[in-house]
Amino acid sequence: MRSIEGVMYQGNAPKGVDPDSIFFVQVDTDKCEACGTCEEVCGTGAIKVINDDEIRQVVDPAACMNCGQCLVNCPYGAIYEGVSYVDELFEKLKDPDTVVVSMPAPAVRYGLGECFGAPTGTYVGGKMHAALRKLGFDYIWDNEFTADVTIMEEGTELIGRVKNAGKEGTLPLPQFTSCCPGWVKFVESFHPELLPHVSTCKSPIGMLGPLAKTYGAQETGTKPKKMYTVSIMPCVAKKYEGMRPEMDDSGQRDIDATINTRELAYMIKKAGINFNSLPDEDPDPVLGESTGAATIFGTSGGVMEAALRLAYEVLSGQKLNDPDIKVVRTHEGIRAADVKVPNFGTVKVAVCSGLSNAQKLCEEVKAGKSPYHFIEIMACPGGCVNGGGQPIDPDVRASLFRSMIAKVNRRYNARKPEA
Amino acid sequence: MKAMKMSRRGFMKACGIMAGYAVLSVNMTKEVFAAAMNMVGMRQKQVYDADAHIYKVRKSQDNPMVQKIYDKKHGFLHDGPCGHKSHHLLHTEYKDRSASIKALKSKGVTLSM
Repeated sequence: MRSIEGVMYQGNAPKGVDPDSIFFVQVDTDKCEACGTCEEVCGTGAIKVINDDEIRQVVDPAACMNCGQCLVNCPYGAIYEGVSYVDELFEKLKDPDTVVVSMPAPAVRYGLGECFGAPTGTYVGGKMHAALRKLGFDYIWDNEFTADVTIMEEGTELIGRVKNAGKEGTLPLPQFTSCCPGWVKFVESFHPELLPHVSTCKSPIGMLGPLAKTYGAQETGTKPKKMYTVSIMPCVAKKYEGMRPEMDDSGQRDIDATINTRELAYMIKKAGINFNSLPDEDPDPVLGESTGAATIFGTSGGVMEAALRLAYEVLSGQKLNDPDIKVVRTHEGIRAADVKVPNFGTVKVAVCSGLSNAQKLCEEVKAGKSPYHFIEIMACPGGCVNGGGQPIDPDVRASLFRSMIAKVNRRYNARKPEA
Repeated sequence: MKAMKMSRRGFMKACGIMAGYAVLSVNMTKEVFAAAMNMVGMRQKQVYDADAHIYKVRKSQDNPMVQKIYDKKHGFLHDGPCGHKSHHLLHTEYKDRSASIKALKSKGVTLSM
């Protein structure tokens, strides 16, 4: 165990292990103060009281969607991560025979700066690319590029479903997004009958891994076997996604390691890099160049807005002059919107974050009452910027006063006679 | 019943402490959550600011590298979005995982769903 940006991590870098057998997050019972915040924020009820002192733990990996909301909301830092590839990655960066490839997600660049004293949310994309180069990554490819590719694939899929609705062999509407690994495991676990509604597109990182080892290998003249692809995410559940057995379409493992924003900050500090004095640098273009549509994947409503920027132009045959589609921007919870598209009609969409909200929309689709064409779902409230792998909000961690209250609570509950 | 007797002043003090204590412990979860959402709003604002002011191109279909990869003649994905190669590399199938949830429930674990 070691502390990384205020969160404990086990130095466990599994290979060829069934991800369903791993606790990606778990409660350290010695640190748990029995306040119950984790249970409150858990969408599935995976985290439960395990003894008379009201200590909580994740009861089974099958019930946990790995979103990590318990971890980022725990006032006591009592929840740790069970997987960390940091040591292995440092080794690979030193090895001259390994071509190490970076694949950072959009939301990382709105959280990383906080670990170096920047105000909440500061955009540090340029410094992030520079830091990755300094750390010794051979190619600075960027998951934002495949966020754009995702729009092309998922938008085309949606347009197909809409145009051919009702025809035999067409997948049903509404179409759900498939970028969020917490949501995907959720629908697989709790609503398997809705799987035909989920976009067949892999997530952006699910696309960049295999593209790096095929297209990227071809463009750079690198042997795919020598490549080590590193997914850098604001997320815990992406560690699960990277380990899915089916993620080997390139002929190799598509994603060799997954770390999160906190672990990247730790590595930059450990390597002695002065982050704040770094210049702004661009990624390597071929699998790195991206657009505003890609960067907004990091917030609830972003995938929807980016997809609409494409769907509008394809369905109407006209240019979308103002790319801002503010009606789908969603701070938290559920938002429904009608988007008028010339030569087509109305596209009905819903945007949702938080798994208990997702549950409501799933029930609606099952009941045949869902009016929507396209539904975006993110497991974390507000989207990836609030992911389980992002820097901890200092306000969340307990003040002395709060921790004292919780301790009193705990003793009081312990003495309470059987209810 | 002598032990139950309390001065008026003592009674008020005890009430005050109890009320404060009750309110604080109930609100703790809410407070933690509210603090987190405030941070989320700030991060979200920065995302939209970057979209509007930092990124020169704002639609995926206008990304030159996207146009390169889907180029109909020489592109790596020359058969276009949802084409043959895309289906092999970029699309997937999902797995029904409900059996493990059913197994948990039959063991007596109560879940929220």
